[in-house]
Parts: sequence; structure tokens; C-alpha cells
Amino acid sequence: MDEPALITSAQHGDLDAFNTLVLNYQDVLFNTALRILSDSELAADATQDAFLSAFRSINSYRGGSFKAWLMRTVTNACYDELRRRKRRPTTPLEPDTSNGDEMDSPRWLADKSMSPEQKLEADELEHAIQHCLDALPTNFRTVVVLADIQGLDYSEVAGATRVPLGTIKSRLARARLRLRECLQGFGELLPASFRLDNEPQ
Amino acid sequence: MTSFRDVELLSAYLDGQLSPPDSARLKSRLSSDANLRAAMDNVRAARGLLRQLPQRRAPRNFTLTPKMAGIKPPEPRAYPTLRFATALATLLFIATFAINGLAPAATSSFAAAPAPALGMGGGGAESVQGQAPVATEAPMRPFAAMSPTEVTPSADQAITPTESPSTKSLVPELSNGAPARVRNEAPVPIVWQIGLAIIAILFGAAAWLIRRASENKFRKQWK
Repeated sequence: MDEPALITSAQHGDLDAFNTLVLNYQDVLFNTALRILSDSELAADATQDAFLSAFRSINSYRGGSFKAWLMRTVTNACYDELRRRKRRPTTPLEPDTSNGDEMDSPRWLADKSMSPEQKLEADELEHAIQHCLDALPTNFRTVVVLADIQGLDYSEVAGATRVPLGTIKSRLARARLRLRECLQGFGELLPASFRLDNEPQ
Repeated sequence: MTSFRDVELLSAYLDGQLSPPDSARLKSRLSSDANLRAAMDNVRAARGLLRQLPQRRAPRNFTLTPKMAGIKPPEPRAYPTLRFATALATLLFIATFAINGLAPAATSSFAAAPAPALGMGGGGAESVQGQAPVATEAPMRPFAAMSPTEVTPSADQAITPTESPSTKSLVPELSNGAPARVRNEAPVPIVWQIGLAIIAILFGAAAWLIRRASENKFRKQWK
């Protein structure tokens, strides 16, 4: 069954059809939540909340990019989670060891297809990028995650965040600028093809 | 020195979001401005790094269960009718107790009144004389509230002074016949009460069974 047919069935209350859509999009939504929240468990909770919210409000979907519509639900779920987190003590990105030190390579970042050296390098680079993403204001981070990590175009990002197109352009440029500045501090970690120039501004 | 406006233009240019005239203008500037080219390389590198981030697999499936989605098993078609019939039969069953419970109070005035009628039935003016004491001592208490043992002596005492044969013959009728008649004539016969109770139980059980069968079928469908 194709996506529009699944959406129509889900709008008529067909949970099986909706769950097929969930299976198609769960990785995308989870990754979006993971990059915005920087916490695997919170990201899983936000993803589940997003799908639940999407099912309840699926009749409000009026066509267009379904992925962008789902992104809006997961973005809202992440904002809710961030608001909750402000009221609660935060936890570090990496789980602690028994000595109380942070683990450099958490298990959830592991990729068995790489050699230990490659994995370490990739883990460190990913850690550096996530660190720089975390340093961005939430609105900027959301835009850069949707546009650069999930590959949404500007109009889809605007739809997902309910922000005007001009603001999206501006936020994306600022976010990239700040990321570049932040990543310059991790110069040694960056692959040669992506090594950033220390161009003065 | 690259301004933020230039970075914004470069960012949009890399995403293909510039209008053709703006794009042409920027291209022309890029060909002559080395700083602008370096800035574009940096924005492109940052953008490329983000796109290189690995996509994680979801740690579990996020499919929804009917419970999570708030979907309830469909109600069997006969269920509302059976539920209504059960409720109605139960209410009627309770009502019969209320009606039968109120009946003795209602008949107490009726039970006090028969004395003159019985006396008249005994025949003649003599019986009317003998009736007077019965009517003065007994009427303040309803028959139903008296036990037969209470009724008999009071009736005997009342008729003793006159020793009338007609009133003597009245005594067993008053002490035994009249109260017994009141008890046997409950407005709702017990057979009806039993019938209503059986209907309530049968319909209730049937409603519960078809509902349970429907829930089990629904659960099996989602296992």
C-alpha cells in the first residue's frame, strides 16, 4: 500500500495502516529527536509521544509533505521535553563509569562495521558535532537538524517549525556559522576533506 | 572580512534557495573575492559535516497498541439492549420490594376499619353493642403490628363483659382470619419478584459474556 493510501486509512482510524507509517518513519523521527535532545532515552520518549500525537491529530493533516508534518510533531515533543528538562536536573550525554568518569565511547554510539580506530575517530567526530549542536540555541538547532541532518528543504522546515521562510534562511546561516566556529576547536578530529579553514571574519 | 549577510547568501546559495538574479550576482562576486570563496568553503564544510552524521537505528519499534491509541474493542450489537434490559429488570425487582414493604402501612387503616363491618356481619343490634369495646381498645394499633397472641387476649377482654354469642364467633375471625388475609395479599406476588430476578441475572450474564467474547476477539487480533 502506498503512503497516501496508508494516510487515508489511518485517518479513518486504521491503526495497522498508521503503524506501517510508524515503521517507515521511526528512524527519521528518532534521529531528529536524538540530535535535538542529545539523549537516547529522552529521544525515544519524544518519538513515542510524537507518534501518539500524530495518530490523534492525523485528521488535521491536509496533504503536502507527510515527513515534514511528522517532523513538526517530533519537534513539538522535543520542545516539551526540553521544557520538562529545565524543571528537572539534567544528565550528561555520556553515561558515567563506575568511577564516576564519563565514558568516551558510549555503547549506543557503537558501530560494528568499523575498525576500532575508525570507530574511535567517528565516535569522537560525532561527539564533537553533537557538542557543537548542543551549544546552539534550541531554535537554531532544530532548523539545522531538520535542514542539514534530515535533508528537509526550506519550505518543509518552515512548515515543520511554523516559522517564516526568511527566518529559516537566517537561522540556518547563523547556525552554520556558529557550528563552524565551534568545530574549529576540534580541528584535529575533522577529516582532511572537511578540515575547516581558519578564515578570519 | 565576510559579513553575516554574505554568510546568509552563501548558505542559501549552497542550498539552491537563491533567486536566479541573486545567484548570478553572488557567482560574480565569488569569482573575484577570495575571502568570500573561503567563507563559502567553510559553510559548505560545516554543512557537509552535519550531513555526514550517521543515522541511528531506532532502539525499538514505536508502533502504537490499541490501548495507547485509546481504541476500545467494538461493542457487540446486542450489548446495549441486554444492558438496558438488565438495568430495567433490576430496578423493577427493587421496586417490588419497596411496594410490598409499603403495603402493610397502607393496609393498616383498612385493617382497623373492618371491625364495624365484621360486627355488622355478625347480625343485629346485639353485635353492635359488643363491637364498641373492640373499636375503642384496638383501633389505635394496626393489626399488622400485632401478633396473633396480642390480638386474641385483647379481643377476648373486650368481649367478655357482653358475652354475646355473635361477638364470640367473631373472635377467631379477628385474631386469625383478618391478619392472615392481609399478609397473603402482597401487591406484587413473589412469583413476579423471582421472575424479575431471573431476567436480571440472565440478561446481565448474557451481556457480560458477549462483551467478554468481543474483547477476547479484539485482543487476539492485536497479539
